[in-house]
Amino acid sequence: MLARTAERVYWLGRFLERTENTARLILVRHHAILDLPKEVQPGWDLLLQVLGAEQTFASLPGVANEKNIIGFVFGERENPSSIISSLTAARENMRTTREIMPSETWERINSLYLSVARRSQRDLPRGMRHSVLNNIIQSCQQITGMLAGTMNQDAAYQFIRMGRNLERADMSTRIIDAASAGLMGKLEDISPYRNVLWISVLQSLSAYQMYRLNVQSNVSPRDVLEFLFQSKVFPRSLAHCLIEIENSMQLLPDFKPARQVVTKVRRNLGATDCGELVDIALHDFIDEVQLQLIDVHQAIANTWFAPADMADVTAG
Amino acid sequence: MVQAKIKSPQPYARARPRSTVDWSSYNSRDFYDEIIGTGGRARPATRSLVEFMRKQTIKHLISRQQAADLAIQEMGVSFTVYSEGQNIDRAWPMDIIPRIIALQEWRVLEKGLIQRLTALNMFIHDVYNKQQILKDKVVPREIIESSPDFLKECVGAKPRHSVWSHICGSDLVRDSDGTVYVLEDNLRVPSGVSYMLENRAISKRVLPQLFDRNSIEPVADYPSQLFDMLSSLSPRQLKHPEIVVMTPGVFNSAYFEHAYLAQRMGAELVEGADLVVGSDDKVYMKTIRGLAQVDVIYRRINDDYLDPEVFRPESALGTPGLFRAWRKGNVGLANAPGAGVADDKVVYTFVPSIIKYYLDQDPIIPNVPSYLCVNSKHRQHVLENLENMVVKPANESGGYGMLIGPSSTKKDRAVFADLIKKNPRNYMAQPALRLSTAPTLCGNSIEPRHLDLRPFVLQGKNHYVTAGGLTRVALRKGSLVVNSSQGGGSKDTWIVDTEAN
Repeated sequence: MLARTAERVYWLGRFLERTENTARLILVRHHAILDLPKEVQPGWDLLLQVLGAEQTFASLPGVANEKNIIGFVFGERENPSSIISSLTAARENMRTTREIMPSETWERINSLYLSVARRSQRDLPRGMRHSVLNNIIQSCQQITGMLAGTMNQDAAYQFIRMGRNLERADMSTRIIDAASAGLMGKLEDISPYRNVLWISVLQSLSAYQMYRLNVQSNVSPRDVLEFLFQSKVFPRSLAHCLIEIENSMQLLPDFKPARQVVTKVRRNLGATDCGELVDIALHDFIDEVQLQLIDVHQAIANTWFAPADMADVTAG
Repeated sequence: MVQAKIKSPQPYARARPRSTVDWSSYNSRDFYDEIIGTGGRARPATRSLVEFMRKQTIKHLISRQQAADLAIQEMGVSFTVYSEGQNIDRAWPMDIIPRIIALQEWRVLEKGLIQRLTALNMFIHDVYNKQQILKDKVVPREIIESSPDFLKECVGAKPRHSVWSHICGSDLVRDSDGTVYVLEDNLRVPSGVSYMLENRAISKRVLPQLFDRNSIEPVADYPSQLFDMLSSLSPRQLKHPEIVVMTPGVFNSAYFEHAYLAQRMGAELVEGADLVVGSDDKVYMKTIRGLAQVDVIYRRINDDYLDPEVFRPESALGTPGLFRAWRKGNVGLANAPGAGVADDKVVYTFVPSIIKYYLDQDPIIPNVPSYLCVNSKHRQHVLENLENMVVKPANESGGYGMLIGPSSTKKDRAVFADLIKKNPRNYMAQPALRLSTAPTLCGNSIEPRHLDLRPFVLQGKNHYVTAGGLTRVALRKGSLVVNSSQGGGSKDTWIVDTEAN
């Protein structure tokens, strides 16, 4: 397969996952805010922090209220991390790799795009939010499912899968980081709601139910972090994402150096004592993991998208 | 106490008469209509379509049209228009009422198309090699030598099967007396075949009932025929030669089609930068496994941009060294560079003699009578009759830079008279044909609109002609311009076997 095509489908995987996760993120914020009394409600601007979009938001007109922030994260094309922007990028990557994609998946992503593009021209009031966002999540899941069910599980598929898992890992760290920042307020205000807040971290990652099933104890910070960072069974945990990436890599040519990078990250993660990750230590740890994820991306790009020996070709 | 009398319901009583399609008000005047013959009657091949439509309400047809439009949007069938400095991706316009041709007539046209392409390929090969036809003065040498499409670099090249134009899209039109003419040959990079295939897919979605009642030739075979033809061009005798489709990129107006064909053939879709020519003069593509040799390139990029080493040096779309690899016979190129020398609109006027010369046959499909402005007698005639003429530049496509006499203003004609006098070699003219029509859904009514037909003809080791082709229709009332870039639409085209009904 062409190196350029590989790069495009990898980004397709990333943007599709980003679309889905952003929709989840808004939805969970929405529910969390409905759950909590006003004094301890995390502001909507937390969404901007998670997505690293505070500066872009500030550069556009409009105050930071619920309506504007939701509009910005949902339908603002000037915001590169909005749902509409991620979906546009996902669709563009699929449009330009149509020749290898099952055509029904293209139709699905295209019609999802058309419906979100129409919707993004209007507000997303509270009454509509659940159905619109849920529809996006379901459509993304449907596309992922169609790919799994109808596409050859060859190199192209592995690139999509790596993109998806790397994006998922990255997004998970962002969500944990931002949500835990909300847990560092004045203790006496927060403590009655500590549980609710940790539950909302789990929910942001669709992890609550699986956490209960797997951990079978009450919600404690240590258990939550262990589950989200180290679980080998939960498909959205960091460790699981990294294992998936390693598995995909092994099916590609010349994979060894790239896999080494991933394995190292996974081992570091496994060796971490989550009980010690409190307050600022957690934030620093996440920073470190995010840098390592960037290394993983770089290893993928160097190995398959721009192999160095292709520039100087001669008789082969 | 008086009890109100209750009327029993009348289940079988008809409500208001429904407004169904009324053919009596359909009038294509003195144009030949493809669907409705004289006296408002259906033609033999269109009987069941007309019958079906008679039973439909306009409202229902409009709802089917909307379903088709939605399907087109969701399938992402689009073409890109360059306008006001921007690229706009537009949904492909398709009218749901099909255009129908009887199989018996089609068989003749098919033979004519193969005859024509065979002769044209012999002509191109001759022109770049022995030049016998020029020596015999059947085609004047100066016409070839002054043509910008005659590429000196190609002289002496001998592509496989001596075929240069492997994929040809000839435009056919029907005049008011029912005669079908070849309007032009597109021997370089004709486009539109994916729309032909998608139009059929959409008709089957929105009007499945009609497929039961007719025996319609399928069209879905094209990609595999194309694949086989391309395989026959491979220099290496492999069971699975590496075939790629080469696109100028995602901003090209026909990108949709490039991706579509690559997908249907299971071929890689490459851009110029994905290919590299080695010092061994072979072509390689950059894959995740390193370099892989390419055997055949179906290039959808014009000669000019193909190879900056030979043609436009500033072109970033092509691949340096590609031409060299082709000349050495290390890669098959479809179509071959230089094939455009034979679809020049001036050379067009010689095609009947070209067919006679190489095949010793009369053309099965006639040419439209044409006047070459370089010839002073012809020029005189053209200038005197501009309002009845269609004037075309000799080597432009896409309907740009044409004068349509009957719909032109005095000022347009003055401009063209000037252009012709300044550069007569660049222009040819044809009498404005009375293009045939077919019923088309226009807003809330069904009206006649002018159309043409572009069948696709393949020639490699063997020949193949698509069953029908792409029917393009001028959606504006009275307009003769069918190009999608100029407000044209399309129709699904059915070759119907009347004897099977």
